[in-house]
Amino acid sequence: MSRIPDDIETRLREAAPRGVDYASSTDPHGVTVAWAGLADREELLSVAQLLHGLGARLSMISASQPPAPEDEEEDDDGEAEEGAEAAAEEAPAPVSFGGTPLDGTSYELAYHFDLGGDTLTVVAYLPAGGSVASLTPLFRTADWNERELMECYAVTVRNHPDPRRLFLDASIDPAVLERLIPFSTLVNAASTKGLWEKIMTGHAGAA
Amino acid sequence: MSTVPETYTIPVGPLHVALEEPMYFRIDVHGETVTHVDINAGHVHRGIEYLTTKRTMLQNVVLTERICSLCSNSHPETFAMAAEQIAGIAIPERAAMLRVVAAEVKRIASNLFNVALLAHLVGYETLFMHVMQVREIAQDIKETVFGNRMDLGAICIGGVRYDLDEETTGFLVAALDRLVPEIEAIVATYRTNGSILGRTRDVGVLTREQGLACGVVGPVARASGIAYDVRAVAPYAAYDRLPLEVHVLTDGDVWSRAMIRLAEALTAIDLIRACLRDLPDGPTRLAETPDIPPGRAIAKSEAPRGELIYYLKTNDNPQPERVKWRVPTFMNWDALRFMLADAKIADIAIIVNSIDPCVSCTER
Repeated sequence: MSRIPDDIETRLREAAPRGVDYASSTDPHGVTVAWAGLADREELLSVAQLLHGLGARLSMISASQPPAPEDEEEDDDGEAEEGAEAAAEEAPAPVSFGGTPLDGTSYELAYHFDLGGDTLTVVAYLPAGGSVASLTPLFRTADWNERELMECYAVTVRNHPDPRRLFLDASIDPAVLERLIPFSTLVNAASTKGLWEKIMTGHAGAA
Repeated sequence: MSTVPETYTIPVGPLHVALEEPMYFRIDVHGETVTHVDINAGHVHRGIEYLTTKRTMLQNVVLTERICSLCSNSHPETFAMAAEQIAGIAIPERAAMLRVVAAEVKRIASNLFNVALLAHLVGYETLFMHVMQVREIAQDIKETVFGNRMDLGAICIGGVRYDLDEETTGFLVAALDRLVPEIEAIVATYRTNGSILGRTRDVGVLTREQGLACGVVGPVARASGIAYDVRAVAPYAAYDRLPLEVHVLTDGDVWSRAMIRLAEALTAIDLIRACLRDLPDGPTRLAETPDIPPGRAIAKSEAPRGELIYYLKTNDNPQPERVKWRVPTFMNWDALRFMLADAKIADIAIIVNSIDPCVSCTER
């Protein structure tokens, strides 16, 4: 289990010729945390192969749906203000590294690889409706991670050997993390004001 | 002539006498031997990852402590480490030492709990009750020093929320002095007792190669010859300045995993004693609650069950944009397929318990 090699950036660029957005920092304990954004998500597999060869362990996959930068117009309804429309024409639409639109509908998949205690995170950007190759054939540990991200977001993982739901029942609507779920729905309306009434009654009695 | 088939499918769980938390195993057996295992999870999925993005950074220190009780301290600690990394905060030295004390006290109690359950599953109830009684010393430490028996509430962003004074230090030292001979006696029992050895040696074996493929962590990895301990390979808090011994065994069976946990409980005591000896004066936290700027971070710690990893992404809002974590059990479940292969039905519960499963943690 070797640590991140010194020439990792060169090797990543060889594995992902379309472009790598690389950054790394080492803390006072000597532990390195590195980040590698991919310009082309289709190069994820060759990067994963490189890391597999280096003896990396796929530690976790974090999916997220980054919000659009705040100054841009809201894209979810027809009530956009006139001023915002004009602004949108002037400024280019925000994009992630590699050109995936950053409008609140795209995804960021962060693959965290452990190399002897150091962490290298490879980030793939997906537009809405995008798909990405499964790393499960390469790393067993991707299995549950990919099943979980498929049930949380409307992301397709291609060639997953067992794409069943992981934690959520098949009857639950997909992409749960893309929807606003009111707290009362989340807890099945089991949250009542009974507790507060009890506290207020007790308080009145004490006073 | 019988029409009874030789092959059955039996359910273990989701609610089962031998499981503390709900998990459903669909096990195909041929005669008494396991041939295939399917794991069905999600019975205690609570959507906590979603909740973290609706709460402020400070509220999340409280929320993450409630993901699970046995490793409750590891969650806010690792979350705080990620936040501190984004903000570029170095915590005071006294706080770093106190974080180690809190984490190692939790480790003693957690490991003893699992080893006690092993005795229970073996059917050795006297030993079960004895180990639980010894664990109670660790519970008393938590109650006396931190005020709670499970959730310590010890961590805040920028340091710790508790301090040791002369009185609590004295109690802690005396309690550790009581624990050491007790744990050493438990080690001797697990090393020699025929009932324990007969049910745990060469049972539920995970080879080093299988362990590496599954990405197992913690005592499960170290019992299979994988010398990976976050405290050693990616030190945090004060671990690089402490006499940390990484225990490794190579047989990969249920017994080895239990022995690793007992050895680590003793090492935890050494670490706490070293902290108490070297504990410098000074603040226990930053003077002001820090604002966490936009950024991203990865933080890792060695929870009682192994590597806990947090990914934190923040933006201009008080709430984090994304918090994601992966607990040791999330990795270690997969290894059960190897451990349970060709196992006897009677050993299923012992083998499942040997990964020290934490379902609430895994499913969030």
